[in-house]
Amino acid sequence: MHELSMAQGIIDAVIETAENNNATEVNEITIELGRLAMVNPEQLEFILGVLIENTILEDAKIIFEEIPVEIDCHDCNFHGVAILDDKDHYAPIVKCPECDSYSIEILNGKDIVVKNIVIEKEDD
Amino acid sequence: MHQVADVEVAKNIMDANKKLADKNKKNLDDKGIFCVDFVGAIGSGKTTLVEEIIDNTDYKIGVLAGDVISKFDAGRIEKHDVPVVGLNTGKECHLDAHLVGHGIADLPLDDLDMLIIENVGNLICPVDFELGSHMRIVVVSVTEGDDTVEKHPIIFQTSDAVVINKVDLADAVGADADKMVNDALKLNPNIKVIKSSLKDGTGLDEIIKCIEEAMNN
Repeated sequence: MHELSMAQGIIDAVIETAENNNATEVNEITIELGRLAMVNPEQLEFILGVLIENTILEDAKIIFEEIPVEIDCHDCNFHGVAILDDKDHYAPIVKCPECDSYSIEILNGKDIVVKNIVIEKEDD
Repeated sequence: MHQVADVEVAKNIMDANKKLADKNKKNLDDKGIFCVDFVGAIGSGKTTLVEEIIDNTDYKIGVLAGDVISKFDAGRIEKHDVPVVGLNTGKECHLDAHLVGHGIADLPLDDLDMLIIENVGNLICPVDFELGSHMRIVVVSVTEGDDTVEKHPIIFQTSDAVVINKVDLADAVGADADKMVNDALKLNPNIKVIKSSLKDGTGLDEIIKCIEEAMNN
């Protein structure tokens, strides 16, 4: 299952940061998902929910933010955020917003980043 | 008293794989080995294509054969007298750069000039995992349905070539191979598209030429 290894990576990163900051509980986890990462947020949230049982993350609210897709266009040299033609796809088709070309290089939008967490900790 | 704090994590989960993929590519570059990575659905013809390339070229080829749990593909390829390592992913639906790194370490690199990686049968998950190859070829057969290309855009937008296989069966299954060609070119005007029927060798020379062009580029 694709989401399982992603979820484990996310949890490892959260726990490491939480422990380094002497957290007693994690209240919130914000995850940035590239629009082209082949991961369904609902499935990812489901498996995260299973994996965080009985950990200090157990009651954390999980927030997803989208990373836009950036491209270089080979035809008109446009550089920036692409148009995503969603059709019926979860995974969108990417094209240039200036000239509609599909002859592009995808620069960004495939990553999954644990952005930040909100923790509770004892007073220093 | 408790206090609440907002703490930056800034950890890219995909970074670990990317770094290992870069390391794999460097290891192969240091040995002068060109690496091509085949992706495609279960039954698209990836293993047959690997066998045909081995039998019809003079390259010193090593193979990493990905399978979820079995070693069937590795066993088939072994019969062609090339070094092969079978990589089992267990529950995972894709090879990753970590597994491939271990596979590369088990091959006699000094005796090779080409590495072929056959990914697990899947048109979705491998997209997220670079392996360190120099070229990615997606194999899709007409028997999967002629809407398969447009249903899986990203793998065609991020591959260097597509082999549309089993074209001899197109009429029998009511598939339009030219639609698949056009869909691939619409999604990725730079992709090299080759129609093949590996059963009778149609398209094989063109596939080998396409790999050689990338190798010499």
